[in-house]
Amino acid sequence: MDLADNGAMVIKIESARRLDLGRRSPPFAGKSTDHDGSAFFAQSNTSKKSVTLNLSDPRGVELARQLVLWADVVVENFGPGYMERIGLGYDTLRQIKPDIILASVSVAGRSGPMAGFRGYGNSAAAHSGHAALSGWPDRPPHMPPLAYGDVVAPMFATVAVLSALEYRQRTGKGQHLDISQIEPMVHVIADLFAAPQARKTGNSDPVMSPHGVYPCAGHEKWIAIATETDAQWRSICAVLRIAPDPVFDTAQDRVTHADAVDQALGRATAVVDRDTLLAELAAAGVPAAAVQDGRDVFEDPELRAAGHFVAVDHPVLGTSMMPTPPMKFSHTPACVTAAPCLGAHNKDVFCDMLGMSARDVEELHAQGVIA
Amino acid sequence: MSQLQGIRVLELSDGLVDLGGRMLAELGATVISVSRRDTSTQARELAWGHGKHRYSWPEDVSSLLPVLAGADMFLDDRRRGPALPENLLVENDRLIHVIARPYSADGPRSGHVATDLTLMAQSGLMHITGDPDRPPLRFPGEQAYALTGIQVATAGLMALHARHRTGQGQRVDVSALQSTTLANYREAIMYEWTGRIGTRTGNRLVRGKSGVRQVWPCADGYVTWSMIDNPNMMRAVVKVLEQHNAAGELAAVDWSAILVADMPQDVIDHWQSILEAFFARHPKVQLGQWSLELGWGLSVIQNLDEVRESDHLAQRGLFVPVTSDTGTTRLPGPLFGHDAGGPPPPRTLSPKATLNSFPGWEAFE
Repeated sequence: MDLADNGAMVIKIESARRLDLGRRSPPFAGKSTDHDGSAFFAQSNTSKKSVTLNLSDPRGVELARQLVLWADVVVENFGPGYMERIGLGYDTLRQIKPDIILASVSVAGRSGPMAGFRGYGNSAAAHSGHAALSGWPDRPPHMPPLAYGDVVAPMFATVAVLSALEYRQRTGKGQHLDISQIEPMVHVIADLFAAPQARKTGNSDPVMSPHGVYPCAGHEKWIAIATETDAQWRSICAVLRIAPDPVFDTAQDRVTHADAVDQALGRATAVVDRDTLLAELAAAGVPAAAVQDGRDVFEDPELRAAGHFVAVDHPVLGTSMMPTPPMKFSHTPACVTAAPCLGAHNKDVFCDMLGMSARDVEELHAQGVIA
Repeated sequence: MSQLQGIRVLELSDGLVDLGGRMLAELGATVISVSRRDTSTQARELAWGHGKHRYSWPEDVSSLLPVLAGADMFLDDRRRGPALPENLLVENDRLIHVIARPYSADGPRSGHVATDLTLMAQSGLMHITGDPDRPPLRFPGEQAYALTGIQVATAGLMALHARHRTGQGQRVDVSALQSTTLANYREAIMYEWTGRIGTRTGNRLVRGKSGVRQVWPCADGYVTWSMIDNPNMMRAVVKVLEQHNAAGELAAVDWSAILVADMPQDVIDHWQSILEAFFARHPKVQLGQWSLELGWGLSVIQNLDEVRESDHLAQRGLFVPVTSDTGTTRLPGPLFGHDAGGPPPPRTLSPKATLNSFPGWEAFE
């Protein structure tokens, strides 16, 4: 999606018979049976084009091969061996286009004893140590509330593709990229693998205290506070009228007595209005933030000002808000357009790009090939 | 030749760009890193610093100018504001200047300080993480920084790609809050379309009218698995239970005819009690093997030692020995599998040198 939003022409090959799981994922505009009505899919596939191909039909595979000839990069996340079985393995792709870049994304990668592992969104959290180190020290492991591996692995895949394009630019060579979900999940907690004895710590930090989430007045009103300097701690005490205690003077003191610090701070925050406290802490230069829920995020003034959500017209969803890339280029700005309806670009791609006649496209559609 | 051999990167790090620079170094770029993070630890230095050429923060920031003059990329971490005065930035029209800030450059929170924890809180991720009877919880490690770092590397590489076409560098502004919020792909959109606000559900996966468990004790640890609407998977699990005379009522369920998400909670709870007893009798290695062979979708919850010792990851060469002045530590090395050649980056955490006189980029290549 990052590539498409930033100007790459991304053609998504889909099956009308076996729909992309995203098209069946809520929330929906209208009926859940409308494969173009998933707001989730729309959000996850902005700026792409969609064609339908039946890859179990050799004629569908042949059309895919013609698209390979056009492409710089092929990205796939089929099970191991599937691309080879249908005649689209890397060796074949390289014969079609010698400098092609193939990025294969899977749960456990294309080699090793777990190469065939069929997992789901949270499998990588279990196999990477995330689940074991999430949660409170006195409770069982905790799974992320979403498929975090589905977030991190595609980001690594984007870096992989961009670095392979750079390599091709200088050497003329393509390559096969093998991106596992587990390995990026390990990388993003490399600091825990580097620690002598990593353990579950809830919200605490090895060198910062206070460092946690504290209740404020009202239901589910929480404030996150981190303290990087002793001066910030003194500011917190001043704002909340906590009497200075020499036992807590230094960061090391506070980390040693972190439970007592958290209890004192929690007692003080529990009776104050969160937004008032946030304003006072911000003015004092203390890192603090509201723990925002989905509504807060959607309405967040900072995100709105940053253009994080932009209104995009979609044929089924109507005008709806879509997220934008978190980066702004001074000379090559991004442009987010609507996610495609299923097969919306069959004519553009098969007729205008590949030179097929409209009649041939219609016939192959009727025969279940462009479908 | 490695992927990014010959690309020169100056990194002024303070949390937001650290992983980005580390990724570029892993891919073969030469990365000179100057850190001003006060809250680092030896573990953080090791994790994000290995493979880079590290310098301590100079007394005179103008000593960075010759480094900047020859750089392709400048990863400029402004978590706590600019490190270099704007008027010191040299004229280098091929420079890719990636600026990472907590927030947008001129939005309502411009200039506010932030840390990993506060960014995670604002992203909405913490509100839905944890148990209902406890405060919101962050993810392990420093995920707001990590997510921002990956976007920093992405931004730099995209601008590098553009530079091949235009001959010009450019400035790229990366927002850490946006980078983190993008990971929360469900909550804002769910509110927009349904008005519903997600809450912490512990280890329960709530879908439709009911909730299912995600974490199960087994004989020697924990596994994660959920009853979901995948008939083939459910049949594969129940088949093994039947072989052990442990399936009970599950044997009679036609998984193609029901939707788990629509079943009453008490029925699901009863079915889960059968599975709970079965999982509790078997070790995780056995359960993991059945999952791999039969497509259960179950995963063993591994602790860090088990991840480090994983045969699978060993065969894929994920962990590499990294030496520092405190010894050798095994850390994740390659980011992904690829066909490009070239030597790996130095598997060392170099001591921080003092930048008195810059010897030139060639000295590092």
